[in-house]
Amino acid sequence: MAAIYKVSYVVSGEEHPGAILNTESRPEKGDQITLGSKKFTVIEVIDLIPPKGEFHYLHATIQTQN
Amino acid sequence: MEHRNILEAVELFDGASPEELESVAALCKEQTFTKGDIVTAQGESGDELFVVCDGFVEVLRTGSTPEQAPRSVVHLGAGQIFGEMALVDHGPRSATVKAASDTTKVLILRQDEFERLCDQNHHLGFVVMRNIAADLSFKLRHHHLTGR
Repeated sequence: MAAIYKVSYVVSGEEHPGAILNTESRPEKGDQITLGSKKFTVIEVIDLIPPKGEFHYLHATIQTQN
Repeated sequence: MEHRNILEAVELFDGASPEELESVAALCKEQTFTKGDIVTAQGESGDELFVVCDGFVEVLRTGSTPEQAPRSVVHLGAGQIFGEMALVDHGPRSATVKAASDTTKVLILRQDEFERLCDQNHHLGFVVMRNIAADLSFKLRHHHLTGR
């Protein structure tokens, strides 16, 4: 099975609880993502904990698009 | 998409055999919610576990006093589970969960049926309980990172 990326998205600079979701590709700096009705830009991605099997555990910091 | 294919990409079932996934998939019911629909309500009894297939849900917690407005805790998207605390401790729902997308699709597993399956198959029971612990740990890490 292909890699699955379980990502903790944390919103920088505002009162937003962020999101957790699985993605099929590793998010990268500069990617655009939509959570609910709001659009965000990924500004940093780090490995949160070591991968296990197909699952990779990431933390992405995002901010509202200008 | 077939329920089994959805479950394959859910961490809760990571380590389960194809046969075990089939047996879990056979218990799943699919339900679609629209934005704003309440899926579970804080304080109510709960006997179901949910898997987000499509869209997002928003998890909200009400404070200890009625005048405190509900606070958004996290949004959960594809592949995430909720309702798992009731599966572990049989307590009331710890949060309200609302559909946050125009179309939010979830798989629903009844607690009694799922526990019976895990009782019959201890490997599956071990896999599920280990992965529930890992999922709760990941959610806690997310909560810490948000600094809320």
